[in-house]
Amino acid sequence: MGGFSVVIPVKDGERYLDEVLSAVMREEPDEVLVIDSGSTDGSLEIARRSGANILTIDPASFGHGRTRNLGMERTTGEHVGFLTQDATPCPGWRAAYDEAFGIDPRVGAAFGPHLPRPGTSPMIARELNEFFTAFSPDRRPRVQRAGDPPFLSNVNACYARTCWEEIRFRDIAYAEDQAFGADLLAAGWSKVYQPAAAVLHAHDYPFAEFMRRYFDEYRGLRTSLGHVEQFGLRSTLRHVAGNVAADRRWMAEQGIRGSASVGWTARAAMHHGGRRVFAALGSRAEHLPPAVQRSLAHERRPEADRPAEASGGGPAVAATTPVPARLNRESYEIAARVWSEGEAPLRDVPPGLAERERLRIAMVIPPFQKGSGGHNTLFQILARLERRGHLCTVWLHDYYGAAAYVRPGRLRHDIREYFAPIEGPTYNDFAAWHGTDVVLATGWETVHPILRLPDTHARVYLVNDHEPDFFPASAERSLAEDTYRHGLHCIAASPWLRDLLRDRYGASADAFQLGVDHDVYRPRDIPRQTDSVVYYARYSTPRRVVPIGLMALAELHRRRPGTRITLFGAADPVPTSFPYEHAGVLGGEELSSLYSGATIGLCLSLTNFSLMPKEMLACGLPCVELAGVSAESIFGRDGPLELAPLDPARIADAMQKLLDDRELWARRSEAGIRFVASHTWEHATDEVEAGIRHALKLREQAANVPSPSG
Amino acid sequence: MSAGSDQMSSTDTDPQTEVAALRARVAELERELVEREAWANRAVAEAQQRVYWLDRWGIDLNALMQRPGASQFRAGVRMVRGVYRVFRRTKRRLQG
Repeated sequence: MGGFSVVIPVKDGERYLDEVLSAVMREEPDEVLVIDSGSTDGSLEIARRSGANILTIDPASFGHGRTRNLGMERTTGEHVGFLTQDATPCPGWRAAYDEAFGIDPRVGAAFGPHLPRPGTSPMIARELNEFFTAFSPDRRPRVQRAGDPPFLSNVNACYARTCWEEIRFRDIAYAEDQAFGADLLAAGWSKVYQPAAAVLHAHDYPFAEFMRRYFDEYRGLRTSLGHVEQFGLRSTLRHVAGNVAADRRWMAEQGIRGSASVGWTARAAMHHGGRRVFAALGSRAEHLPPAVQRSLAHERRPEADRPAEASGGGPAVAATTPVPARLNRESYEIAARVWSEGEAPLRDVPPGLAERERLRIAMVIPPFQKGSGGHNTLFQILARLERRGHLCTVWLHDYYGAAAYVRPGRLRHDIREYFAPIEGPTYNDFAAWHGTDVVLATGWETVHPILRLPDTHARVYLVNDHEPDFFPASAERSLAEDTYRHGLHCIAASPWLRDLLRDRYGASADAFQLGVDHDVYRPRDIPRQTDSVVYYARYSTPRRVVPIGLMALAELHRRRPGTRITLFGAADPVPTSFPYEHAGVLGGEELSSLYSGATIGLCLSLTNFSLMPKEMLACGLPCVELAGVSAESIFGRDGPLELAPLDPARIADAMQKLLDDRELWARRSEAGIRFVASHTWEHATDEVEAGIRHALKLREQAANVPSPSG
Repeated sequence: MSAGSDQMSSTDTDPQTEVAALRARVAELERELVEREAWANRAVAEAQQRVYWLDRWGIDLNALMQRPGASQFRAGVRMVRGVYRVFRRTKRRLQG
């Protein structure tokens, strides 16, 4: 590929078009494309005469960025020059651009100065001269790189096709060239200011048109670069006075004196003052009513305000709204870092670490609320590990910044108040990370962070539930599944979960049994009702299949209208087709009383078995749970629980059986108390501690560490 | 033959002794590390206990003391406290 193409968007541009095309043709480009968007004057005829290729588009499909992308697509040159219909290239224009692109292979674009046409207002001519001279006072080509001004103007610019293919013009209402300049520099390309690639461009507009053009220009700058023009009375007066003085000097140099000078001075003052006002309004256009925006804007075509049709006839992109960065990182960035950079290496395991009496254990937790069941499990165990002499620390990882305000002192206090009296320190980020023997991940959100933590002998995953099942197809589900595939040794909160992790993910896994606080959950001295059901209706947790449970209760109510039904676990009452008592969210003591006074409990879970059925059983309350999920792995098929398939009628059958058969009820109640008697937090801690030591053993075996005895 | 065997036995023993000694040293250092960390954890936890109310209300004393006038304010409070103590002491003396 090679060659030089020129693209000129045109609409009713007959005033200068002939002159522009003639000058372009003198530069001998390989092709010239005129894109006409509905001219009604003689523009098309002029273009045809010049021998340029013509592409006609629907005026409604015009967009400054979109149409120039179309121009790039419909031309073939390696370098493509863009001009406006009133920019006449000066001799040597094309050669100057060829020279600019020869400076460096990473030059993505070049631009040249706009020279005033004869008769241009002094203030415009002076400003243009100063503006472009500032880019290169010695009039030599200047390469601009990241950190330099993003200025680029499609009045007179040239692009390298390879750069455009990477960047493309943004589909924005105005200032697509400035946006391209910023994007180009940010992407590592450079651009060149080429003083020799000049065009004659500037000419006068009536005052109102000037102001509307400024409004559009600064609205575009806000959209493309986020620039907001500052405005203040004093600064505006200073600005006007300074510029008028400069204009007067320029006029003196150009020989404009006397009454002409006075007249131009007055116009200059109006121009500079008006520009400040319209620039400030333009960069705040989004705060103005649409009707005001329309009346102030020069671009009055519908596409300036509403989505238009794209050149291909498909739906157009609506006007975009700039949104500033609000986060210092994306939510799951740490997971992406694990994927791209890998895991931090583990430290070698010293001989005998697995048997050492006191281990250093760091537990990484996700944010919590009062009553978080999973966190209760974690801290019941951690507090007991501390009592056994292990040095435990707690580290909060907050993916979403929801708990960013929680400082360490408060974090520690809340853990002690809500869950268990831990003794060790807590940290709300990893800034003070100082290594440990074993780091424990405790939820899917905590796994990727611990994989990046250095100075650790082993990483262990305390798995409370199969968390991918908490999400539909989503980033969260994928990330949660990924957590089981990093070779962490898992300690799962039931044999069912352990087997699932082994079978589905090939993870090494141990299991522990959730404990029950028998001081709280025990049969209370409360008269037990003979015909009542309590149901854990936490409908905000989908795995609790509350709609199924409610259908089962509706069926039970139809069969036994006298049965008293109580729902708990949700703050607000859920609408149902049957009457019930709403108990809300309850604490441990209240739950224990509720369980001790009811006839049967209903608690359903599609994933891992939770604490609640065990706590019901500990209070002598027979409980109905789902068959075929996790409950059998703990209680067996014919244990203290009444199991039913995921079928409202069958669940109602199970409840009815327990309510009708007093002998069965008594048998289940006694069996339940007996069964959970051994399920204590001390026992759970034994199992978790054994799992941690097992993980260290596995590390020793993998590293072929000799036994401490030699 | 006998001399050779003696020699071999001597070279076998030395590295083993050295390894055992090094292992003992590693174990000792590890114990020391654990003790130090236990002490540090206790100190951090106690500090966190003390600053709970500051943390609860989101008050960062370090940031607060970096504000202009903070050290002058602190000096002023100290001076007022000193005056108050002198006053209280004098009052106690006068009251016998």
